[in-house]
Amino acid sequence: MTGPGDLPEAATRRLESGSFSSGLTVPDFGACLQMGLRPVGLVQGFCAMQWSWYGAGSPYMRGTSPYGTSDGGQGAYSQSWRCPHGLVSAEHRAWGQNYEQTWVESAWLQGFGSAYGRLIEEAKEVGAHGIIGVTDTSHNLADMNVTEFHMLGTAVVVEDAPAPPGGDPWSTYLAGQRLAKLIEAGFMPISVIAGIASVRVWAYCMTEYLMEGRVGTYGWGGATSTQEIEQVSEGHLAARALAREHVRRQLGSDMLHGVSITTAEREVGSGDQVLECTLRGTRVRRFKGFDPMPTPRPTVRLS
Amino acid sequence: MSPDSPLPIDVRAEMRSAAAWLADGGAAPNGRAVTSDLTIDEALLLHSIGWEPVELVFGVSVTSVPVGVWTWGRGEIGAASDAHNLAVHTAAERLGRECAKAGGHGVVGVQVSVEVNPHHVDVHLVGTAVRPVEGKKPGQTFVSDLSARDFVLLSNAGWSPLGLSFGASFIYAPRRDAATAIRQSSQNIELTNLTEALYSARESAMERMQASGLAMSAQGVVGVRITEGPMRFARHVIGFTAWGTAVRLVADNHVYLKPDMVLPLDDAVVQFEAQSLRGR
Repeated sequence: MTGPGDLPEAATRRLESGSFSSGLTVPDFGACLQMGLRPVGLVQGFCAMQWSWYGAGSPYMRGTSPYGTSDGGQGAYSQSWRCPHGLVSAEHRAWGQNYEQTWVESAWLQGFGSAYGRLIEEAKEVGAHGIIGVTDTSHNLADMNVTEFHMLGTAVVVEDAPAPPGGDPWSTYLAGQRLAKLIEAGFMPISVIAGIASVRVWAYCMTEYLMEGRVGTYGWGGATSTQEIEQVSEGHLAARALAREHVRRQLGSDMLHGVSITTAEREVGSGDQVLECTLRGTRVRRFKGFDPMPTPRPTVRLS
Repeated sequence: MSPDSPLPIDVRAEMRSAAAWLADGGAAPNGRAVTSDLTIDEALLLHSIGWEPVELVFGVSVTSVPVGVWTWGRGEIGAASDAHNLAVHTAAERLGRECAKAGGHGVVGVQVSVEVNPHHVDVHLVGTAVRPVEGKKPGQTFVSDLSARDFVLLSNAGWSPLGLSFGASFIYAPRRDAATAIRQSSQNIELTNLTEALYSARESAMERMQASGLAMSAQGVVGVRITEGPMRFARHVIGFTAWGTAVRLVADNHVYLKPDMVLPLDDAVVQFEAQSLRGR
């Protein structure tokens, strides 16, 4: 598959068979019908991406200058640290750098985006207005350096409502009563959104020593007590802030609801790390004014 | 639903009207985008007391622990306790700063992750900055690990969260002498060296947590959570950490919430998630 409009023939035949399939639980299915949403098909999107960390687009090694900011591409995050010890030896890590691995982010987004595009394509094929109860996963395929992106959701038609603009269905991670409450609160789902940030921490001497406890009485650095490992803290903060910024760029002025955040750390050497942060959630837009619900009544269950 | 309207919302009509609005172009609002990790229930609860989410905010700090501190010794391992406290305070301060920068009045539902490693302590805090819908003047920014539900209950009861209170202590369990160890090896007997280390670590950690609450002029700490036991990489060291949200009564008196008693008549229902399709 190379893009939209090329669903396998069998898939098209199955989707046109007249019966529906749904990934909803029975309670969610009931709530869905109650809301006037008619399930029309369990739709999915796949994409298998080869994962070459230092492939095309990567600078392969760390940046060539402690002063430069060009490692991850234009406007990418980069921060550098310089050794406080002076000339020690050729092996001494005289400078360190944190930088955004934009090529990793692009590859991930390509995988996620392709799977999402194919999910939408299947939903359009069955004339859906929206996709609810979306789940997405990404994991390695067998022993290969390949990641599978898989998205799944239930395509629905809103009874007696016009088709969405351009025929593109809206999508949401929510389903059932949670979706009903979202609508009651005056929010309409627009689409599921995900963003990733990948930050490489290339440690300088102090970070290396501090991560191994070799500062103070037993090591370099002159410090005699605990201290913050600034380069690593900054790397973690940058990964999270960048992921948030990446989803913000897709949001416009809408709201990202129910964000789930996943982080991963991979140690690649003494003090060296790859830090990743992924955010996903449902982009929602207010379709009616703010109308606070009545103060809920506290209850105690007798059971 | 307005507070005066007793009629339930016709969700089918609402859905249809939302879909028609979207088909008609669905104009996006003006202003800055909002990010939030609150569930829809939590967002609605916040709305019920006139608050709204503003931004997903983060606070992280990684601090060093000098090599050699976990080997045998006596008393408290001051360097480890200091590293823990420094990491927690720095991360919480950053979280508060991000909240203030985003225009929030406080952070709720903070997920606290603390990992003590042999050579560094990692603290990660994630939460949602919130503010009143009617632009009230912000007081001091608070950070709280209470859920939005707990925040609403606390507010309705006349209390206000002030910040996260933390305390930690790491204590060497004193060695028994050889004769005692041999004598006790065939007995069912309390190992007082370990019990005493637990008590000692507990007292120091709880005292620090309460002291950090008092420093915020708190009257108490609610939702206290603790971890305790030997460190996985140094079994002769007992670690004890405690944290919770420091609170203060801001109303004249505590407001009793008068909950109604309900007796559910339905059977317990097994809940499913879409993820179950994947066999999980």
